[in-house]
Amino acid sequence: MGRHNLGTVISFEVIRTLTKKRFWIATLVVPLALIIVIGLVVWSNETTSRQVSEQKTAEFTFTYVDDSGYVDPAVATALGGAEATDREQALEDVKAGRIDALFEYPSDPVTQPTMVYGVDSGVFENGKYAAVARHILVTSSQARIGDETVAALVQGNVSVTSTTYKDGGESGGMNEVFPPLIFLLIFYVVIILLGNQMVTSLLEEKENRVTEMILTSLDPTTLVIGKVVSLFIIGVVQIVVFVVPIIIGYVFFRTTLNLPYLDLSHLVVNPGSMIVGALLFVGGFTAFTGTLVAIGAVMPTIRDAGQVFAPLMIMIFVPFYAISLVVSDPHALIVQVFTYFPYTATVTVMLRNAFGTVSPLEATIVIVEQFVLSVVMLRLAVRLFRYGSISYTQKVSIRAVLSSPK
Amino acid sequence: MTEETVTEPLVHIQNFRMDFGGNTVVSDLSFDIDRGETFGFLGSNGSGKTTTIRALLGIYKPTSGTLHINGREFRPEDGEKLGYLPEERGLYKAESVIDVMTYFGRLKGLNKRAAAAWSMEYLERVALTDKAKLRIDKLSGGEQQKVQLGVTIMNEPELLILDEPTKGFDPVNRRLLMEIIEAQKNAGATVLMVTHQMEEVERLCDRVVLLKDGKAEAYGTIAEVQDKYGGTVIRLEYSGEIPDSAHYEVTLRGKRQAELTVVGHVDEAVILRELVDAGVMVRSFQTAKISMDDIFVRVYGEQHEAAEA
Repeated sequence: MGRHNLGTVISFEVIRTLTKKRFWIATLVVPLALIIVIGLVVWSNETTSRQVSEQKTAEFTFTYVDDSGYVDPAVATALGGAEATDREQALEDVKAGRIDALFEYPSDPVTQPTMVYGVDSGVFENGKYAAVARHILVTSSQARIGDETVAALVQGNVSVTSTTYKDGGESGGMNEVFPPLIFLLIFYVVIILLGNQMVTSLLEEKENRVTEMILTSLDPTTLVIGKVVSLFIIGVVQIVVFVVPIIIGYVFFRTTLNLPYLDLSHLVVNPGSMIVGALLFVGGFTAFTGTLVAIGAVMPTIRDAGQVFAPLMIMIFVPFYAISLVVSDPHALIVQVFTYFPYTATVTVMLRNAFGTVSPLEATIVIVEQFVLSVVMLRLAVRLFRYGSISYTQKVSIRAVLSSPK
Repeated sequence: MTEETVTEPLVHIQNFRMDFGGNTVVSDLSFDIDRGETFGFLGSNGSGKTTTIRALLGIYKPTSGTLHINGREFRPEDGEKLGYLPEERGLYKAESVIDVMTYFGRLKGLNKRAAAAWSMEYLERVALTDKAKLRIDKLSGGEQQKVQLGVTIMNEPELLILDEPTKGFDPVNRRLLMEIIEAQKNAGATVLMVTHQMEEVERLCDRVVLLKDGKAEAYGTIAEVQDKYGGTVIRLEYSGEIPDSAHYEVTLRGKRQAELTVVGHVDEAVILRELVDAGVMVRSFQTAKISMDDIFVRVYGEQHEAAEA
């Protein structure tokens, strides 16, 4: 009898997930929240920028007292100001509302504050007085320099392009670091988005008491592999849902959204690093998946599984606590421990691979370790599922399962 | 000379032993189930019935022994036509009835269209057509049981294994269930049934095995098992004092009524003569076969008492 049970499991799992409202709510809530936040930020930036611009050139009546000698009367006059002859009278005029503001520039504006007095025109509008007072001083100072380039250099507007050499050839520098890190990003996204589903997916069979029906219709290995593959497909769908709006936004609305131009042509793709990154991703993903599936098979409920699931998730973030050592001193003891401990190895070696601090031997050992762990954990998961998922209400003794006949 | 055809039993269990972490659940169990028969697998709670079924279905690997269906160990991927209604029941609760039934149909080798068509036909038979698109958890417990039974029989199984099939059914649905089981049996299915309902055993089963202390306590046709435990009971209406005798045991004693279980193969007339000779005034003397219920109580009663003590 021709059975296509792997395909049946995958299509059942994928379709039933993708047709659930709660999946789309969970999937869309993050990008929607991001879109809303980004929209608010863009709108706020535009508003702030417009307000600053308007405030710098805001037209109101003011007088000023210049003890510094840096203020160019022409600049102040152009903005509607006039030098005060009597400071006390000028302040009285402000208090009485006859003029809008008085600026008092001290003898040393670098160490002493410039005093601004103005007619209250609301919390937000009041900012225009300080903006104009500052603008007058900066513009007057730039005018004293008399050279726009020097003025820009003084402000630190400098562009630098570095070229470094490694083994006689031009090295990619930071441009070589980013491409392999894409695997680390995908690893985090997939594990964070799907980790919980991996655990609950098999727990569902257990909590619904459906395991025995399944096990007499289907080989547990097929079920576990079907679950893993379908989760991966669901993960790809989620990533597409995240990424497509970003790409559309960048390609078609970059100018409107004030997004910076990303010049990807400078990125250097090192085939060796990319292959290592890809292998680490596949090995790490399957090792974590196998482990999470095994947790789901052992624990009686989602709450129980959460107690083990959380520490496992923490482990993939732990290497970032030592990231400076990971990058700068890969031979430090803690980095070596993280490099070879199975559940910190993926992230640590992905980072080291990106920064070029992992040797081919180390990379090979860790990749092999990850794949061996994947096979062991998946086999263990199948075994635990076979026995553990029938122990519907209690935690399974792993020792008992392992000591039972194969 | 007549030609005899020897047919291999559909289920063959030989010297099955199952240990869990040092605990022996089944120590040495052997029995066969012939094709087309309805077989009762009996035993008290915790006697190892479900463990045996799980081992037969490859869910557990036996510590030792042989468990064969159709001459080989069961593997789902071999495409054996088998229906299993486990004691622990459940379905994907968040999915619709028709989706779950179609999924299991496909796992059992039907194509999607055939599985959906069969499911709708079955739902009509059990009056659940209007609930086909409802989520499983929106159904009542009895309705869920009906759906689960449908999933069990949807591939027209050659072997139907039912672990406590009437558990959770009301009398109306129990009758419907029995009709469905009988229909399967009439269609040629072999039925292995675990139940504590002894009247079902007497009505449906051709042969039984009683599991006790990890071994077969009794095995054979209903009549053979009844014979083993005395076979005959005498229901008596009387006055006077019933004397002790090697020919019977007084299994129930009332003021004017008693039940005597015949020990060994002794003519009931001999017992009647003994009673009359002892001065017992016999008003009514009826013989009947010992019920499976009585046998069950006799076999497992001591265990229950020991457990309670």
